[in-house]
Amino acid sequence: MANTKKYWKGIEELNETKSFRDSKESEFPQSSSIESFLADEKLGESSTGRRDFLKFLGFSVAAATVAACETPVIKAVPYVMKPENVTPGMPTWYASTYYDGSSYASILVKTREARPIFIKGNKHFGFTSGSVSPSIIASVLGVYDSERIQHPLKGGKKSTWKTVDNEISKAIKDANRVALISNTIISPSLQSAIAELQTAVNGEFNHIQYDPISYSAIRKANELNFGKSFIPSYDFSKAKTIVGVNADFLSTWLLPTEFASQYGQKRNPDNNGDWMSKHFQFESVMSVTGSNADYRAMTKPSEEANVLKYILAGVKRMSSTIKLSSTLKKTADIAIQSLLKSGNESLVVCGTNNTGLQQLVNEINHHNKSNGTTILLDNELNLFQSEDAKLLECVKGISAGAYDVVLFYNSNPAYTLPKDDLKKALKNKKVKVTVSLNSHSDETGALCSYNCPDHHALESWADFHPKSNHYALAQPTIRPLHNTASALESFLVWSGKAERGGKDSTVAYDKIKETFSSLSTADFNMVMHNSCVELQQPMLEDSMSFSAAPYASMPSTGKGTEVILYQKTAIGIGNNANNPWLHELPDPISKVTWDNYITMNPVEMTKAGYKTTYDQENGLSLAKITVNGISKTLPVYPLPGQAPGTVGVALGYGRGENGEKIGKSAYQTAEYGGHEVTEKGKPKPIGANVFPMLSMDNEEFNYSNSGKVAKVDGEYIIAATQIHHTVMGRHSIVRETTKEIYDSKGKEAYNPAHTLQTLDDDLNHVEKPVSEFDIWDAHPVENVGHRWGMSIDLSSCIGCSNCLVACQSENNVPVVGKDEVRRGREMHWLRIDRYFASDEEAAVGTKKNKKSFSYDQAEIAALNPKVVHMPMMCQHCNHAPCETVCPVAATTHSNEGLNQMTYNRCIGTRYCANNCPYKVRRFNWFNYPSYKKFTEINPAQDDLGRMVLNPDVTVRSRGVMEKCSFCVQRIQATKLKSKIDKVPVADGEFSTACADVCPTNAIVVGDWNDVNSKIRKSSEDKRSYQALEEVGIKPNVWYKVKVRNEENNLLSKLQVEKKSHHGSNNKHH
Amino acid sequence: MQKEAAIREPLILGHKTYHDITEDVCRPIEDKAPKMWYILFGIALIIGLYGVGCILYLLGTGVGVWGLNKTIGWAWDITNFVWWVGIGHAGTLISAVLLLFRQKWRMAINRSAEAMTIFAVFMAGLFPLIHMGRLWVGYWVLPIPNQFGSLWVNFNSPLLWDVFAISTYLSVSLVFWYIGLIPDFATIRDRAKKPLSKKMYSILSFGWSGRAKHWNRFELVSLVLAGLATPLVFSVHSIVSFDFATSVIPGWHTTIFPPYFVAGAVFSGFAMVQTLLLIMRKAMSLEAYIHTKHVEYMNIVIMVTGSIVGTAYITELFISWYSGVEYEAYAFLNRATGPYWWAYFAMMTCNVISPQLMWFRKLRRSLLFTFFISIVVNIGMWFERYVIIMTSLHRDYLPSSWSMHYPSPIDIGVYIGTIGLFFTFFLLFARFFPVLALNEIKSILKGSGQSYKESPDYHKNH
Repeated sequence: MANTKKYWKGIEELNETKSFRDSKESEFPQSSSIESFLADEKLGESSTGRRDFLKFLGFSVAAATVAACETPVIKAVPYVMKPENVTPGMPTWYASTYYDGSSYASILVKTREARPIFIKGNKHFGFTSGSVSPSIIASVLGVYDSERIQHPLKGGKKSTWKTVDNEISKAIKDANRVALISNTIISPSLQSAIAELQTAVNGEFNHIQYDPISYSAIRKANELNFGKSFIPSYDFSKAKTIVGVNADFLSTWLLPTEFASQYGQKRNPDNNGDWMSKHFQFESVMSVTGSNADYRAMTKPSEEANVLKYILAGVKRMSSTIKLSSTLKKTADIAIQSLLKSGNESLVVCGTNNTGLQQLVNEINHHNKSNGTTILLDNELNLFQSEDAKLLECVKGISAGAYDVVLFYNSNPAYTLPKDDLKKALKNKKVKVTVSLNSHSDETGALCSYNCPDHHALESWADFHPKSNHYALAQPTIRPLHNTASALESFLVWSGKAERGGKDSTVAYDKIKETFSSLSTADFNMVMHNSCVELQQPMLEDSMSFSAAPYASMPSTGKGTEVILYQKTAIGIGNNANNPWLHELPDPISKVTWDNYITMNPVEMTKAGYKTTYDQENGLSLAKITVNGISKTLPVYPLPGQAPGTVGVALGYGRGENGEKIGKSAYQTAEYGGHEVTEKGKPKPIGANVFPMLSMDNEEFNYSNSGKVAKVDGEYIIAATQIHHTVMGRHSIVRETTKEIYDSKGKEAYNPAHTLQTLDDDLNHVEKPVSEFDIWDAHPVENVGHRWGMSIDLSSCIGCSNCLVACQSENNVPVVGKDEVRRGREMHWLRIDRYFASDEEAAVGTKKNKKSFSYDQAEIAALNPKVVHMPMMCQHCNHAPCETVCPVAATTHSNEGLNQMTYNRCIGTRYCANNCPYKVRRFNWFNYPSYKKFTEINPAQDDLGRMVLNPDVTVRSRGVMEKCSFCVQRIQATKLKSKIDKVPVADGEFSTACADVCPTNAIVVGDWNDVNSKIRKSSEDKRSYQALEEVGIKPNVWYKVKVRNEENNLLSKLQVEKKSHHGSNNKHH
Repeated sequence: MQKEAAIREPLILGHKTYHDITEDVCRPIEDKAPKMWYILFGIALIIGLYGVGCILYLLGTGVGVWGLNKTIGWAWDITNFVWWVGIGHAGTLISAVLLLFRQKWRMAINRSAEAMTIFAVFMAGLFPLIHMGRLWVGYWVLPIPNQFGSLWVNFNSPLLWDVFAISTYLSVSLVFWYIGLIPDFATIRDRAKKPLSKKMYSILSFGWSGRAKHWNRFELVSLVLAGLATPLVFSVHSIVSFDFATSVIPGWHTTIFPPYFVAGAVFSGFAMVQTLLLIMRKAMSLEAYIHTKHVEYMNIVIMVTGSIVGTAYITELFISWYSGVEYEAYAFLNRATGPYWWAYFAMMTCNVISPQLMWFRKLRRSLLFTFFISIVVNIGMWFERYVIIMTSLHRDYLPSSWSMHYPSPIDIGVYIGTIGLFFTFFLLFARFFPVLALNEIKSILKGSGQSYKESPDYHKNH
């Protein structure tokens, strides 16, 4: 249809005026160009009127003000060329291997936009079966440590690789004697590079492997008993009876990453249905391992020999003349019975570095015929080859000026050696050229003439040969951030075998590939993909056989208090002193953060007049501890279970006594930001270094010693996340039973349902389970869509604290520092509640006698208490008390059963936190990502440190509440993936960070609505209960009754009695 | 005219005429303020400004400057809030409930009591605001249409009910107080000589002319507002108590709370009225209008409400044992014998024992003793709120989270600061506003004035 109507744009068009016709011709008038306009000389004369000026000024100020009201927008620049394997928003995982000289694990590294942000264990490959340790998880933070040396240093000044390489190569070639002090090197490529270096040296080359924690006694004892110096592999999963003597094998002894998962397999009473291991622990300081033992005996270091001798006699079925204290004897007798019953399926380990004791252990294990079942003699462990005596010899040489060049690699002897002669020698320049390859200018590095910083482990290629039959690779997950160089490359360059390759150097890679081809015929890329490969075992000479040998000397009873120098889970030997996550990680037993202290039994402390309680304002008494003439003043911590007559002090503290640049968080922070400083103006170290208290007996380092502890005036405030230590007999929080009751009795004995009285239709009183009562309609989460749930097995949980660090890493949980932790404001979304049993309880959470129960007594932990570790996080209640009280609906329930926290909406009334029965909500008291108090410690305040933040999780601002989200970002990612694949979410596909890193699989997560899911089955298990069920809040988290493989007559009496009581009640109705 | 038995004690002492009453009430406003006033005002202002400084520091830095922690999310902040709201109870009770009950003695005290109420509610309202982590988005608690999508407030939350309850109470109290002030402002206006003050008071008096029609409407409005305010007296503190009663925390989750809180509020409110008036009558020479009898009446209210509060404490204890609930029982055991036993002891002594002394006529008619007890009661009532809020939180379900509370200097600064601000406001009120409802007082002069009661005609006329 033709349109004949005509429209005019204006009267000019209708009238067709001349000017209109002219202007119509040129749509874009060119009468005057911008250039000519600007060139107009008269332009300067035209002025903006005052009023106009004020208008513009007013408008611009107003506009600028309005614009400034918005949160500043930080722009992200997109890729111009998309790198291969990097999709923004999608993580890339790399299989790799972690080894730092004291722990080893096969790991998976999560990278986002080409930066590593999360580490977990590799469950599919490697003998550590997915198990890691807190320090391994937290090591990802180390990449972004801005205090790492960022380029080679010469005399502490910035230099270039060319200069230092030339000078060092020359010095090495010309030297008469060269020493290389490193930790145990298990990398075949590195070994070969060191061998190359040796050939390049014209003079004498001395490579000494030195581990601050030495296991030389095991090697020596084996040399005596088996004719070969080695450490075997252990298999705790095959041991029905485990006897640990001062061996914290779940946390610090030898290879805890492997042992924890092996141990965990047999601590779940339902696993395989057949048996559960029985664990005896003889130790002085309560360790993570000791806290999990079925029987734990407080044993002084000087009693260890007798205990082992007594057990040896027992397993030989000989009567013994050894006198043991009655409690020790009792436990030892039960242990002997159990060992005899288990036969070759038993394992005795000892953590004391004493050859005599290790010989006893060998003999006991030999009598049990454990060699071959729980002890694998033919699969040797290559870790911990420390040559203690050789090192001391070398230090003597250095002091005497016998060395021209000394290289330090991954070793910090200036800090870890008990005597300071090395330090003095370095200070007095007894060596012409000293080179440190350490990543920091640490105690040793700061005294060296050259610093040639190695890459961070996550930046470099490496290979490892941790066990005879195992070869593993580590691959870089990020391009080196700084101008550092792989140590492997440095050694090759200095021996003239390679050229520097810069940041994208392939020297290390090529070397490793070459080494690999000589060891294995497997496909290199495949091995890299898996991170490891099984090696063909070299045929051993006939399996080794035990032969008795005269015992080396054993620890004797010294005078005074016996002092045990132990390692804490997080800090270890102090390598991690600059890692704020690990400092803030509460010690699994004491729950203290940011400090070391003297542990002493509270009963002894009360007698000696020490304070045994503490809180944010009330500190602990100080004491001066003197060992070997070295004195340190430290607070005394009341640690139940500490053997009377002994005290413990953790190693690894007091780093950077001279203010070395080892990391901002390695020093005490002041209340309003900055560091606390000493009188000399140097930052104050955290805790005290007790390495000087080590002694050397019979050419082996000895970690227990006799000393003196004297109370001194003053108090010291410690920051603990838990200041109350017992569960006050509250059965609905912790439930515990014994294996015997569990096997023989029904659920109602050890896990009775909570019931409430109600009226039935005929108005009779009846008892109904709590689950049937509802004040209001339940959220429609049952059998609709997903319902995310979690179960936590208290039997399997060993309290290792992996989950806690993983949660911190995954969810950008801020670090708040000692002062805030002491004020009870740590931000951890997941905490591990540690409960000691009191004398009022038959087991943790079970009152001995309800009538005579004394609350005052129940507050005090028993002398040697049983322990329960209980991970606690948001329970995602379906009737969440937090949700109803929020005035602005900032916390709501999702239709998948999650209790969601909407940070944007939160106005910060904290009502939700008050009303949370589990007290798992965490409030942002300050602006952690910017307030000056947290500058030194919170990674989010460091330009480099903030790269570790998980981009999927919001960094919370001041004034909002936060809490566990069940890793909702992972749920969403999993759902999205399933949606793309058009399949339902499979069970096990989604996992939270905590469940991901649990070495014992104590945490199960999944979709509860999936009737076949693991979580559904687990939640319906007869051991499952919900904490504080009677409050009626219907949590989506289940706990499983702790089963201890012990005899507990009182508990069985109580639990069986209760059952009959219930029975009579039922009859009555 | 009001009739009253001759043997009743007169409410106005001495030989006062209508003019005397006007003179007595207006004198402080028209005269120069005494030196003492300036000193007191200066002190109050300095303390108040210090409090404002603490609040500004709090707002600039974060709630972390208080002594709260992961276990104890409320302590001094909400304690102070409830304490001030409680104090703010007496005014409306006196003017509304006593009006409905035709208690003429209220006339001497209602004006100041209402002023006290309003200033106390100001102070109370401050705490929920500043205790928020993000004050700048605090307006989200108001159900106003918004651009955040379908976001609405959570009507289930007692904190939201608080918002409504407090704001309603404040506005009704303010209107009630102001309506009462209108005729008195007019009197001052009529007497004022300086043009500025004449102008000010004529604006404030809304053109009151004193006609019978005005008086009639005045009485009617007062009655209607009294009717409106009476339920509010009970609702405000009931709703404040819901903050705790509807929670799941042992020690908070208590059905007895609404009446218990209301009684406690009246208790503390009257105590504060006593504190203020005993000073004011002396300072402003109002002994003839506020005398022993008034004080005695108020002491009786304190005694009765104190007994209700005491009964409530004991009922709580009984129920915690009788319920057989482990957590409930422990919460109360812990209050009485735990680390904060001294707070519980202070509360019990101040609130349960001290009001019982009022059974003695001699004591309840002693002004000095009354003053002392009124301070004791307010200390006790502060501790009551602290005990309820803090000791319930510090040891609740999971012993792993049990904690202790230590107030920070800022906690203390803000609290003291609100007391300073309160007195700043009250001193300004005493200086510029008629502190007695002078026109109302006049209505009882012939019925309850001493000189009239003693005159021989008094009996004849009745």
